[in-house]
Amino acid sequence: MEDDYAIFLSPSSLTRVEKPPSRPEDEIMELLWQNGQVVMQSQNQRSMKKLPSFKLLDADHSAPREIRSSSPSHKHRRHHHQEQQQLVTGHLFMQEDEMASWLHYPISDANFDHDFCTDLLYPPSSSPTAAVAPCVSSTVATSTPPILKRVSQVSVSASAKESVPRPPVPPARRNELEPARIHNFSHFSRHITARTEQSELSNSKSVMGESTVVDSSNTPAAAPESRAAQAMPSNTEAASGGNNNNNNANANMSAAGVPYLQSADVRLGANKDSLATCEVTVTSSPGGSSASAEPTAQKAASAEDRKRKGRELDEAECHSENAEFESADTKKQTRGSTSAKRSRAAEVHNLSERRRRDRINEKMRALQELIPRCNKSDKASMLDDAIDYLKSLQMQVQMMSMGCGMVPMFPGVQQYISPMGIGMSMGMDMGIIRPMMSFPNVVAGSALPTSAAAAHLGPRIPMPAFHMPPSVPAPDPSRFQPSNQSDPIPNPLVMQNLNQAQQYIGLHQTMQIPHPQGQAMAQPSSRRGAEKVENHPTGRSISF
Amino acid sequence: MSSRRWRESSRTNMSEEQITQLLSTLRQLLPEIPHSHSHKASSAAKVLKQTCNYIKTLHREVDDLSDRLSQLLATIDADSAEAAIIRSLLI
Repeated sequence: MEDDYAIFLSPSSLTRVEKPPSRPEDEIMELLWQNGQVVMQSQNQRSMKKLPSFKLLDADHSAPREIRSSSPSHKHRRHHHQEQQQLVTGHLFMQEDEMASWLHYPISDANFDHDFCTDLLYPPSSSPTAAVAPCVSSTVATSTPPILKRVSQVSVSASAKESVPRPPVPPARRNELEPARIHNFSHFSRHITARTEQSELSNSKSVMGESTVVDSSNTPAAAPESRAAQAMPSNTEAASGGNNNNNNANANMSAAGVPYLQSADVRLGANKDSLATCEVTVTSSPGGSSASAEPTAQKAASAEDRKRKGRELDEAECHSENAEFESADTKKQTRGSTSAKRSRAAEVHNLSERRRRDRINEKMRALQELIPRCNKSDKASMLDDAIDYLKSLQMQVQMMSMGCGMVPMFPGVQQYISPMGIGMSMGMDMGIIRPMMSFPNVVAGSALPTSAAAAHLGPRIPMPAFHMPPSVPAPDPSRFQPSNQSDPIPNPLVMQNLNQAQQYIGLHQTMQIPHPQGQAMAQPSSRRGAEKVENHPTGRSISF
Repeated sequence: MSSRRWRESSRTNMSEEQITQLLSTLRQLLPEIPHSHSHKASSAAKVLKQTCNYIKTLHREVDDLSDRLSQLLATIDADSAEAAIIRSLLI
């Protein structure tokens, strides 16, 4: 009949034929090729003229097309088409040229039958790639022609298998498949990721997953199938390796511009498994996915999308069919589109949630790398470390810039600066001036006293990490020397702050080794920390 | 499934709160860019990203300042107090 072509053609006429008004949701819509465009129409309305090349198929497929339940592959295909059609209104328009390129490939019945049968024979179980694979591989001699063949073959086989003109396929399944498939096709990436995550049994889900998987698999295989890849990076996981093959095949196929081809490709991909998976995924996508697919489908105006969709549809069909067989048909029937929608929504939600979490984890890892000596695997402690480090870094920068500003002053200016330093220090540390006076001596002596002095100065600067006891520096008075009073005034402050920052770093270093020291023992540990800092001078200031 | 999620959430509630608190602290440390509405929802990812960038900026600043200080150190009297200060800064 005329609609043979329809199945494999991208549902250009999705818009037009969602379903015949009288047709139930699960009616198998066929994608028909009308005047160079794929039109979806219900099986009942086989008014489409099929392309000459598909004549072979027509005869076989006319009946099978309508058969829903009989043959899994057939059904899947149909579902795919229908879904596609439903989803992609106008977006799935196959370029006439595209169509023609592969459409006119001679399709031998024999091949079809052989391949088709194998496809059909492909057990509903997800693993039966073997049967199909051989056929597929055999049939697919060339990328394009074989695909056509495959498609036709599949359709043929489907038709052959399904002698029943529309067996009462469980509506649920159908709905699921279709929406899922179309859904998948329309926006591979979108649904795929969501789909793959949720490998629900629902047919639509399987279909969806398939498509995504297929996509994902395609990507690696076929560069041109970039879109596929995007569509299903996540799906690949779900999809078995077979899918990849199929996807790749599909990718190539898609180039042909025929989603149908793609699907055929997928099948041809000689990955029965993938097919199976696709089907499963396709089928699993419940009506919900289809709903989502629709909007997405519309968005996917690119031919690629269409191709993908075609592919997905095909895959979804075959997979869904298989999946359907595998899963209880009755379940599908009972499962309404609502549940499918819900499950799909949940899947989508989970997927997005996971992605969000991944992003956050990735950033946390990046942050962890920036923090020196951060061996914490716990998020909270790592964040704690990050906060402390950030504070110490800020302090360090502050100190250094102060030092920079201060140093250029020649000695004569020191006196001038002192008041300024004091003023600054006042702001920072009111009661430190006196102890500060002894600073220069300390500084000149060694870093040790400096750190000690700093420790004594205590945590003037709000640095919670430094639990330096603001104890009065006992040794300071002893070191107090009036001779250097003027100069060191600003310096001690700087040094103090700097030392505090260093302390943190030193403590950080210290803590690495003698952990029990902790920050509580600021004084002794700070001294030790200072020593450590001294002993391990790094070219860079305050290097961890 | 829902029960599992609930269990997970109850398990991680404490740490989640803790983390949110830490994140808010971190956010306060970051240099705010006063937009028209600085009260913008900063997600954890944003805060972490800003933190990473800020730390990198601080690193660069420290390097820059170290270079300057070492240059200054070369220009002044090595025995002066300033030199000592600079040296301490540079460690």
